[in-house]
Amino acid sequence: MSAPTFEVGAELVGPVRAITPTRIEWYDSAMLSAATDELRQVGVNIHTDPEFAKAEGFVTANADGMIMTNWCSEMLTRVFGLHYLSRGELRTKYIKPTNLGVELHVRGRVKEAAKQQNGNTLYSIDVWCEDEHGTKLVDGDAKVEVARG
Amino acid sequence: MLRGYISDLEKGDVFKPVEYVITPFMCSEYAHGSEETSEFFHSERNAAGRQVRPPTMIHVDKMRILEANCDKEQRVSGMKGPDARVHYEYHAKHHSPAYVGERVIVTGHIVDKYVKRGRPYLWYYLEVRTADGRLVTTYNDLTLLKYKVES
Repeated sequence: MSAPTFEVGAELVGPVRAITPTRIEWYDSAMLSAATDELRQVGVNIHTDPEFAKAEGFVTANADGMIMTNWCSEMLTRVFGLHYLSRGELRTKYIKPTNLGVELHVRGRVKEAAKQQNGNTLYSIDVWCEDEHGTKLVDGDAKVEVARG
Repeated sequence: MLRGYISDLEKGDVFKPVEYVITPFMCSEYAHGSEETSEFFHSERNAAGRQVRPPTMIHVDKMRILEANCDKEQRVSGMKGPDARVHYEYHAKHHSPAYVGERVIVTGHIVDKYVKRGRPYLWYYLEVRTADGRLVTTYNDLTLLKYKVES
């Protein structure tokens, strides 16, 4: 397992994706499929139906927060691989609804790189998602202990 | 209170555990649903040499344990509660990867339940271990039980 190295302040760039009804349906159906071990289709909820979402107090349908969490996790998997899967940590907080039509940008920045007694490096990383105007919709942080190479 | 709606859960409630064997379909389909193309989650042709459970699948484990413990609101089966719930915070720590073919056991309890700015929140704590006791994931989750504030 190779050991990626980063300086404090290094930027991580994740996916840039539009929030579409299809993507929302993909996640919610996949979540149900993974829970039952068979192909399932999501029904009506605040993520899939704008009218239902309005009745529950939202402006329109919005993405399940786990879609953004998964895209943050995708960025960390791509950068840190097995180090992240074995000794990683991810926290995401959905601070505003991520509505249909938003162009979501997944970002990260290395906040700290601390050498551990065992020779590993513990990276602390700010992680967030913002819309096309730079408004933060998801805030969070991650930690990844990278084993010495 | 267990066995009711999710909104009936109270601080200190301890969930009946759930267990299952991780299948290739579960991992691949979950990854596919969020456009995650890393080979870790789709086959054994990766640095681990085995197909890995996506760490974010802890969200599925939450749905599984709620399904087994909240008889009136089995969301996976299509049941609905009195109000739409909103996930507010996800916090997972990975202690080791879990692999296809492994049996895992999910345990958990309600850490707290409180009202903030007129809205009710529920704080879950879950753990995932393999059947032989290896710790896979510890997870804290904050869920808003009702988004709409009554005027």
